[in-house]
Amino acid sequence: MSSPSALRWRSVAPGAIAWREWDGEYVVRNERSGNSHLLGPLAGRVLEVLLETDRALSVEDIVTALGDELAPPDTFDPHPAIDVVLSEFQRLGLAEPEKR
Amino acid sequence: MIVGELSREALTGGLADGGLRLRTGPVVTRIQSRFPRVAEGVALHYADYTLEDTDGFADFHVRIAPPRSPRRWLKPQVYFHFDGASPFLPLPADQAFAMLEWGLNWCVSHHCHQYLIVHSAALEKSGCALLVPGAPGSGKSTFCAGLVSRGWRLLSDELTLLDFDTGQVVPLPRPVSLKNESIAAIGQFAPSATLGPPVHDTVKGSVAHMKPPTDSVRRAAERAPPRWIALPRYERGASARLTPLSRARTFMHVADHAFNYDIHGRRGFELLADIVSDSDCFEFRYGALEDAVASFDSIAGAA
Amino acid sequence: MNAVTAHPMLLALRDPAALTGLSVAQWETLVCQARRTNLLPRVAVTLDGLGLLPQVPAPVGAHLEAARTLARAQADAVRREVAYIDRALAATGVPIVLLKGAAYLLAGLPAARGRMFSDIDILVPRPALAEVEAALMLGGWASAKTTAYDQRYYRRWMHELPPLKHVSRRTLLDVHHAILPTTARLKPDSAKLLAASQPVVGEPRLRVLAPRDMVLHSAAHLFCNEDVGNSLRDLVDLDSLLRGFAQESGFWSGLTVRAAELDLTRPLYYALRYVAPILNTPVPASVLGEAEIGRPPPLLRGLMDAIFLRTLQPDRVGAAANLASLARGSLYLRAHWLRMPPLLLACHLITKALRREQITAH
Repeated sequence: MSSPSALRWRSVAPGAIAWREWDGEYVVRNERSGNSHLLGPLAGRVLEVLLETDRALSVEDIVTALGDELAPPDTFDPHPAIDVVLSEFQRLGLAEPEKR
Repeated sequence: MIVGELSREALTGGLADGGLRLRTGPVVTRIQSRFPRVAEGVALHYADYTLEDTDGFADFHVRIAPPRSPRRWLKPQVYFHFDGASPFLPLPADQAFAMLEWGLNWCVSHHCHQYLIVHSAALEKSGCALLVPGAPGSGKSTFCAGLVSRGWRLLSDELTLLDFDTGQVVPLPRPVSLKNESIAAIGQFAPSATLGPPVHDTVKGSVAHMKPPTDSVRRAAERAPPRWIALPRYERGASARLTPLSRARTFMHVADHAFNYDIHGRRGFELLADIVSDSDCFEFRYGALEDAVASFDSIAGAA
Repeated sequence: MNAVTAHPMLLALRDPAALTGLSVAQWETLVCQARRTNLLPRVAVTLDGLGLLPQVPAPVGAHLEAARTLARAQADAVRREVAYIDRALAATGVPIVLLKGAAYLLAGLPAARGRMFSDIDILVPRPALAEVEAALMLGGWASAKTTAYDQRYYRRWMHELPPLKHVSRRTLLDVHHAILPTTARLKPDSAKLLAASQPVVGEPRLRVLAPRDMVLHSAAHLFCNEDVGNSLRDLVDLDSLLRGFAQESGFWSGLTVRAAELDLTRPLYYALRYVAPILNTPVPASVLGEAEIGRPPPLLRGLMDAIFLRTLQPDRVGAAANLASLARGSLYLRAHWLRMPPLLLACHLITKALRREQITAH
């Protein structure tokens, strides 16, 4: 199975996802699943990035989009964290990898 | 006509026959019962409430009645009937008034989906509403009864109705249910409050109800915008401590405690998010009701 | 047969435009009756369709709106749940035929409008049952009936896997391989139903029964099943289906023939006999004539008339309520009788009664 990094990701049915952010924390409601979620700052921003575009994005695309919001690369490698976020999103039904 | 204006005979007779149409906030319930405890409970707790005419519209029909089978004289039991059917198992007959109260809550929480309904107490001061969402046992009723005894208007004890168009709390003032130690605590804190007789051995332990202040009942048509959301926790001997709670976490807590959040889908999400956005959110730890009153009077004063 | 007395609830179903003339007391009765029969959102949708909601008294309008909100949420939940079921069974390749409410909804039928939904029913080929059950369990469904007796009852004597409940979503799913129990006297052939089933637009794996079969299933469900609490609602379903399919060419002409093929001429006879006078469903006289092949002996018919007409009317408050609950009780007994040989029936009812006592005692 490919690691999340090798895949390209989209949010599911963007029209079905509503969200709000306060002080870096996010609440999200997904009409497709009927579920609501609390997301931390990184997960929330990743979701925002996915929702902002129609294109399927790779982890690298997401890192680029987040730019200097992320800690400097010599102190923190965001790739594994974003991998985990995307896997969680898949499990929750918020995002899915593009079918090849 | 106000309940308190009826003679005891008229009240008992009305409940026994065609029923009395009691208005509680936006809801009118036709209540029928021959149980003396129900008549006593209504006379005591609902003295200030309006009775609607028989030609007015009643939202719900409830009947508190004994079982039909011959067992009725052996082990006194009471059933709650709604629109002619009984959704619950029976309770011992001495819990007849408590059953009415639980039943009235059930009617609203299961049917009034024109509102977003949160399992929460709600109080008003300075024209703004304080929401206290929480499960039974969280101490919200004691906290609520305490503030209500010190000048806060009771909007609701259990069910907070939120209006979709305005985001405001629609008052549904009803007797405040107190359990176990709270009964004595409120008796001490507010000696002039009217408490009904406790019933023991319910599934929740001992239960008694506190009559809402007349002012709260009379002003039931006055809505209020939510301004504060507090999660209280009682800890014996603890000093009062107010801690800000993140809005996102508050949102999840309130949504968790909303009866019909899932039914309303996106609309419910947006309403709750707007309310949380406009509110200050706290966790509140306290060991004495005086501290609770002082802390929130101070917050309301600064509003 | 005597004319059916009009109640506000029946008026709402037969002549909704006349509701604007109701007194407040009658509106109150209507809301009560509609709530009990799970038809309140249906009334709301009907009045909305006629543009009459502004003329409804405000507190009544609030109940109508609340009921509609609930029904819409249930419909959304059904769609979600069907998607989960589809995903869980995709790998098996087994065709899934949706039944009843879920079918009406996914097929976009008028019968789905304003309808309330609870559990989902699907029909699969009998040989595929074990594979389907295994795939569903992998997907998080578990048996909702856990006693050995219930397991035996459902698997050996009835027509279903025991009802399934999803462990996290708490949703209910009934998987059928036939639309009536194998122990029942009537035996509609599932292979015929499956062969005639039609695809759902846009869904490669989902299917629904052919229109005539949907009607016959509805008739069989109404007159052979235990769930008599929903009788009026089920009759409304039948009425909606008949009105909707009446437009389709060939629908009426093949109905009785199909009923004979499926051993369902008796339920069809009752269905057409009762739906027309109660709900004013337009049924061609020729079809009523053809359906006579399913008619019961006269004495039985008289008894059934009394029971069904009593049961299908929404309860009036007061004395009539007792009579209706008696009639409901008889219908329950009859439904059981149709489903199970008499000796088994006695066992089952006694055991059920005993276990209900145990639950109450706790």
